[in-house]
Amino acid sequence: MSEGADTKPPRSKAAKWTRRGFIGAGALAGGALIVGVAVRSGNPVGKLKPIVAGGEGEALVNSWVKIGADNLVTAIVPHCEMGQGANSTIAQMLADEMDVNWENVRVMDAPADGNYVSQHAARLFVGPGTLPDKPNAVSFMEPTYDGLFTQVAKLASAYITGGSSSVRSTGQNGMRIAGAAAREMLVAAAAQEWGVPAAEITTENATLTHAKSGKSALYSAMAAPASEQDLPRAPKIKDISEFKLMGTPAPRKDIPVKVDGTAMFGIDGGPDGSDLRYAAIKACPVVGSQVASIETSAAQAMGGVLQILNMGDFVAVIADSYWQAQQALGAIETTYTKTEIDDLDSAQMFANFASALDEAGDAGGNSKADYGDAAGAFADAANKVEAEYQVPYLAHATMEPMNCTAWVRDGKCDIWTGTQVPLMSRDGAAEGAGLDADDVTMHSVFLGGGFGRRLTPEYTNQAARLAKAAGYPIKMIWSREEDTAQDFYRPADISRFTGGLDAEGKVVCWNNVHCTEDEPAEAPLVEFYDIANVSVRTSEVEHPLRIGAWRSVAHSQHGFFVESFVDELAHAAGKDPFEFRRSLLANSPRHLKVLEGVAKMANWGGALPEGHGRGIAIVRSFNSIVAEIAEVDMTGDKPRVTKVFCCVDAGFAMNPDGLKAQMESGIIYGLSAAMHNEITIKNGAVEQSNFHDYHMMRMDDAPEIAVEIINGAPNNLGGAGEPGLPPAAPALANAVFAATGKRIRSLPIAKHFS
Amino acid sequence: MKHASLVLLIGLASLGLSACGSESQEPVEQIVIREPGAEAPAAQNVTAAESGDLVAAGKAAFAVCSACHSVEPGAASGIGPNLNGVVGRAAGSLDSFGYSGAMTGSDVSWDADELDAFLANPSAKVPGTTMVAGAVTDADKRAAIIAYLSSLSQ
Repeated sequence: MSEGADTKPPRSKAAKWTRRGFIGAGALAGGALIVGVAVRSGNPVGKLKPIVAGGEGEALVNSWVKIGADNLVTAIVPHCEMGQGANSTIAQMLADEMDVNWENVRVMDAPADGNYVSQHAARLFVGPGTLPDKPNAVSFMEPTYDGLFTQVAKLASAYITGGSSSVRSTGQNGMRIAGAAAREMLVAAAAQEWGVPAAEITTENATLTHAKSGKSALYSAMAAPASEQDLPRAPKIKDISEFKLMGTPAPRKDIPVKVDGTAMFGIDGGPDGSDLRYAAIKACPVVGSQVASIETSAAQAMGGVLQILNMGDFVAVIADSYWQAQQALGAIETTYTKTEIDDLDSAQMFANFASALDEAGDAGGNSKADYGDAAGAFADAANKVEAEYQVPYLAHATMEPMNCTAWVRDGKCDIWTGTQVPLMSRDGAAEGAGLDADDVTMHSVFLGGGFGRRLTPEYTNQAARLAKAAGYPIKMIWSREEDTAQDFYRPADISRFTGGLDAEGKVVCWNNVHCTEDEPAEAPLVEFYDIANVSVRTSEVEHPLRIGAWRSVAHSQHGFFVESFVDELAHAAGKDPFEFRRSLLANSPRHLKVLEGVAKMANWGGALPEGHGRGIAIVRSFNSIVAEIAEVDMTGDKPRVTKVFCCVDAGFAMNPDGLKAQMESGIIYGLSAAMHNEITIKNGAVEQSNFHDYHMMRMDDAPEIAVEIINGAPNNLGGAGEPGLPPAAPALANAVFAATGKRIRSLPIAKHFS
Repeated sequence: MKHASLVLLIGLASLGLSACGSESQEPVEQIVIREPGAEAPAAQNVTAAESGDLVAAGKAAFAVCSACHSVEPGAASGIGPNLNGVVGRAAGSLDSFGYSGAMTGSDVSWDADELDAFLANPSAKVPGTTMVAGAVTDADKRAAIIAYLSSLSQ
């Protein structure tokens, strides 16, 4: 591969023509400049990696920028808006690099088909070449222009929103570079037109200015000549001292449509016209079973019913309205085939988990971390501490129920649905409709909550199968009961610890074994704590339910396990939990600052009313470090969280308001689960059904939350969507202990006070 | 129009053999009752009127009206007046209810035809009435409701 600094990528006439051809074919208004960036990202998206990058071990992200004839700059973002606001922040990063004022910026979701993500478009736009493997973001530009079209086919599946990755990956490695490149091309075009040195041209508010000659032009006026410029090999991105929009609470671009009600969510989507009908479905309650028989005579006679379908793995009713479909569905008597887990309940399942851990013992299982000699140090420890923790399965309970509208006709399929993985969902629909993926059009809509639930394509598959069978468009809506019972759950788990303290109360060893292979793999690790002898292992168990990514994924359980056990060690050592953690974090300066930050916020050590307690926890996840202190009031018949203090270091807060909102949201979501929620199993099936037995925290339960931000590593961004969650449960459980002396070792907490 | 339910049985062979998944793409069993827009089969659309029980049909149709109107003899009026005995009585004549001036001054006596006209479009029949909801566009439904109200007068 050629990486010579002066070697420009080969650009044939054909490449130029096809680039403009792409612009034209991309349904972009005439005269528009579009700049695209496709880069490798170092972001580990873990379990999703095979989907994302097909075994290359690297995720790809892409970003596109359009400058229209109206001088508006559009950021075309390959992520979904599910309430997190990241797309707006990514656009903010673009605008800053381009020197465009915020008012002139628009955000558009990249379509899940067509030019933006196809190999064809990538080939046309990016051109031929190779992909050097460079570790730093700016160098990623070279491969972009050297071309990586064979890799760019994988862009298709990189269209994913998860792993708290949008800002730190797409924004940092894609959009900022696209913005800087677009700006440099505009400057080069102006320099050529005006016959002046590029270095003398300044940019501000989407306007090019040459002060000496008094010439100036809007970006839009230079868009066409800019598209003829050579692509910059390594556009210069701004230093933090030059930021104008980055780091400011610029108002989110999706707020107006959500306030005035014009925002289109998945459940609002669908074709115009009167042929749209509604489907209600019920899948087999036990994983692995099939529908054996359906008794439909009552349902057939009910109002509005058009069709009743036994799809093998689920039963559906199609009717004139959703209500009619759901009522008729409820009138169908269904029997199911037997499975091996028809007699399983949660108690038996946890007993199975415990047996697996017994088998692993104190040295068996799959090793995840092993340094020093945990077993030997434990044998010699002055003070030995052991504990076992347990967490249940958790459902996502997105506010917008699962739904998908599908229309299959004339060899084409149209899909309207909220999804975190539009292209995977497209593939699921294609399979269901019996068509090629290229024949499926995904219509972009907002998500009424994701939290990891909308990372699976099974619901587009279901809707496409129904629409194909019906022959007319179908809006399939899951009932809340179906949503609760047919989720891909946060894994239930048991985690066992042994820890040793020396005579001075210093931790000398840490030995942990738990049940489920973790995603991300770092979730149970404690390398930031100064402990010399560590062993972390997993044992293998079979899950009777479908498991999936639940906001913060494995950090959600390991935050609770690890930070509860650290608290137990602190008390065993007779030390203050904050001071104890401080001493353990002596070699982790960013952690230490965050921990000390939250202690200061909460006035740690200050007096509290009788029956109240404070608990502290710190968790690093998705490259962000978050410490939280919960205050709990134990004077009533159940715990009440009164305050949560949160200190976060996400590297650099591109939009501090957005980061703060995500911390608050993660805390509320985490406390909901910690306090109230579990998915339990009886006769192989999920027992919970709706919000009466799966509570989300309400206004009157919600604590006051204070968030402070530390910008500890501006060139090493962390995520925002998930990291606020993991410390919430242990901070609360540790606060309950501080107030009452009662150690909570299994969640939910409410069960201990019923 | 009578529709026999059309039952299609497809691929029963896959029953019980595959895991809950996407292997059986086609329906195992597809029962088509009717197409969108087609008239509903008689079985589900038989009105009580056709079966001769107009009063029962009216009682069912009155369910939405009962949000505002009581019908038990002597029961307190709600948002609208008690309608027990309304057929045959003068408009706006229930002492215990605060009618609009439009209603008390309307000079209407509620027979079947007058009620039919009022229910079809209350504001047209009695301009200024406070019964802003409750228009019944379906003539059969109006007839049934009136039959039901008549039955309460005895």
